[in-house]
Amino acid sequence: MAQAILDSKNELAGRVAEGPVDAVRKGLGDWLFLAPAIIFFVGYQVWPIVRVLWLSFTNFEFLSDKPAQWVGFANYAQALQDPLMWASLGRAALFTIMFLPGTIILPLLLAILVDRVGNQRLATLYRVILLIPAVIPSTLIFVLWKWMYNYQSGPINHLLVNVFGLFTLQNAPQWLGGTALTLPAIAIMEIWWGLGYHTIFFIAGLAAIPKELPDAARIDGAGEWQVFWHVTRPQLAPIMMILVVLRFGSAMAVIDEYLIFGGFNRASPTYTWTMFMYDQAFKTGLWRQGYAAAIGMIGAIAMMFVMAGLIWVFRPKG
Amino acid sequence: MSGRSEQEQLFREVARRELAAGRIDRRDFLTRSLLTGLGAAGVGAVARSGIESAFAADSRPLTPTFYQWIQDLHPAIPEVNKRFPGINYQIAPVEGFGIERFVAEAKNKQSTWDVYVGQTPFIEMTAFIKAGVIEPWDNYIPKEVIDDIIPSIRAECSVDGKLYSWPFLLDVIGSAWHSGITSKAGVPDAAPATWDEFLVSSKKIVDSKAAPWGATFDAHGWRSLVPVTHSMSTKVYTDGLFDFTSDPAIEALKLMKQIMAYSNPDILLEGSSDAGVNSTTDEIAFQAQRVGLYFKYFNSPLRMAASWDDPKLLHLGPLPKFTNGEGSTVFWTTGCALFKYGQNKEKAAEYIKALTYDQQIWKDSIVGTPGVHPGQLPPYKSIYADWDAKKPDWMPPFVGLVRSQLDRAKAIDNNLFGLQQFVIGKPIWETYLKGQEPDPKVAMTKVKEAVQAEIKKG
Repeated sequence: MAQAILDSKNELAGRVAEGPVDAVRKGLGDWLFLAPAIIFFVGYQVWPIVRVLWLSFTNFEFLSDKPAQWVGFANYAQALQDPLMWASLGRAALFTIMFLPGTIILPLLLAILVDRVGNQRLATLYRVILLIPAVIPSTLIFVLWKWMYNYQSGPINHLLVNVFGLFTLQNAPQWLGGTALTLPAIAIMEIWWGLGYHTIFFIAGLAAIPKELPDAARIDGAGEWQVFWHVTRPQLAPIMMILVVLRFGSAMAVIDEYLIFGGFNRASPTYTWTMFMYDQAFKTGLWRQGYAAAIGMIGAIAMMFVMAGLIWVFRPKG
Repeated sequence: MSGRSEQEQLFREVARRELAAGRIDRRDFLTRSLLTGLGAAGVGAVARSGIESAFAADSRPLTPTFYQWIQDLHPAIPEVNKRFPGINYQIAPVEGFGIERFVAEAKNKQSTWDVYVGQTPFIEMTAFIKAGVIEPWDNYIPKEVIDDIIPSIRAECSVDGKLYSWPFLLDVIGSAWHSGITSKAGVPDAAPATWDEFLVSSKKIVDSKAAPWGATFDAHGWRSLVPVTHSMSTKVYTDGLFDFTSDPAIEALKLMKQIMAYSNPDILLEGSSDAGVNSTTDEIAFQAQRVGLYFKYFNSPLRMAASWDDPKLLHLGPLPKFTNGEGSTVFWTTGCALFKYGQNKEKAAEYIKALTYDQQIWKDSIVGTPGVHPGQLPPYKSIYADWDAKKPDWMPPFVGLVRSQLDRAKAIDNNLFGLQQFVIGKPIWETYLKGQEPDPKVAMTKVKEAVQAEIKKG
């Protein structure tokens, strides 16, 4: 005990002896260790956002040799008056509505089913099978589904026309290329692609629920549905919130799939605000990147508001 | 010549080239010329002022960059490369016709490459010029070569009298037919001379059930609306833009709707590659031998027919015309752009000359190789003249046909909106094709307004 008091006194004396130079040195050391993360965060995330924000207040055109001039909110005003801005935001929202439930409901059901498999080897096999689409490169996924959906030679229409006789070659569904079916078709592809990945989220969440909780509920007379609704679901709420927020962001900002399946046809349901922005920034006229930046900022702000709402709705309660 | 005066000559030559390329003004040129005349002291001053770096820069090997499809369709290109030891041959980062990398480099007054093979004048040439990415070939292309270019092609590749695209691969829109299907339908085994005949034959094919569909085309404006319009008249351009409300354009749209009555129902859908521009539904239908008549640039039916059981059933002909129409069509070349901030410009000209005159490339393109059959043709008068004088035994008849079309064919005018006007307009004129808008004139007026509105934005 006496030794401990002595050590404590020595430590205190050492601290008192630490001068301002030592404090600065220690502070610098902290910043030195933080520097890589700060440089990455500022350079990779903050700077591009600030740059785009600045661009959105200018009339910058990439192909023009004229310097960018400050135009205030003119780009925002013009974009908000453009019917294409609203139509393209609406299309992105429509796709998100088609896609988002599929990232929650189906994976949740599958996760519960897989979680109940008693045979450990079988459970592992199911997980591996579920994850297969998630590890296929995007290029292959797009090639595969483009073929599946092909009007004239795809297997889906082959089944509908030649096997089941539900349609003829004249009136078979036109899945891709800018029809009303294009967004649901892409949503189905995306749900299939992310099914395993999203299911793993829920399997991890289910594994974290103490077994005593559902067991206690059952002893108290709760049925399986009541156990799911009152015990399992609230326990999975944090995972649901993460998935909903993450996938909402990615669904609203889809562009690769639209470029591949719909092109730059402005009447196509795949011509969303991301396509509008890309079109203005890299295709049209002198590449109006100031205007495109304003379109991007409007889309991002709209997404942030909805995300805040989703976080509130899906927040863990109790 | 002494070493010093030789160096002075070289400095003057570099200054002359930089003046021609617009990198220095006349004042700089005169100053440098005077300085080089001052002997060793002048040479030193000039070297310090930047010409030395121009010499040093030319030390890298010739670095051409090609759009991927050109290499895929023309396997003899590597053979030409062998004649240029040390060449740094590359594939261009232009997936989906994206040219942003070239523009970004030019803004920094630099270029990784010396020449880009893949430029189509009406698509990106104006953008390249406006952004200061490319310079004209006139100071580097031999006079005999420039005089050898077919006049309509030279016009297509020139802006203000300067040649900004050295033409390479020529595509012309004409008609094609599957003689197995047309014979079965009792349709004459010849190219329909008029659009009326085209429609009659299409109907016969459908009625006879020789194939599910009578005719097809690529719905992108520059591949359907424009050639059909040109078949009536080529005087449909105002200030470099296509006049959508002109009578020939309206008639073309009406005809397209008539053809659609006998075509594959997915004809208006976007394609599945290059942002919807390629791998289009017409190609799938023609490749699957489900349609009898077709019009598009010739390399499309040639590529599609390569997978038929009997590719010899493919026949090619000129584009039909309207009764009393001009009988023209549309063509474009895919050519070579000279980077303003590239290097090795004389060497680049030497290379492109070798490439574009290479007999093996043209034979492979016309006859086809085991993997590909592009059917693209040369842009030079002399090559056709040689073939006329001594017809090679491998020469198919469509080559002479295309050559004769060129005298009447017209390229789409060069404009910043050369391609975009059709991208913007397509969904609008399709309201007429889909029956949503009964009046073609109303639809085309809306197209014109939409294009003008976009131009006004900048």
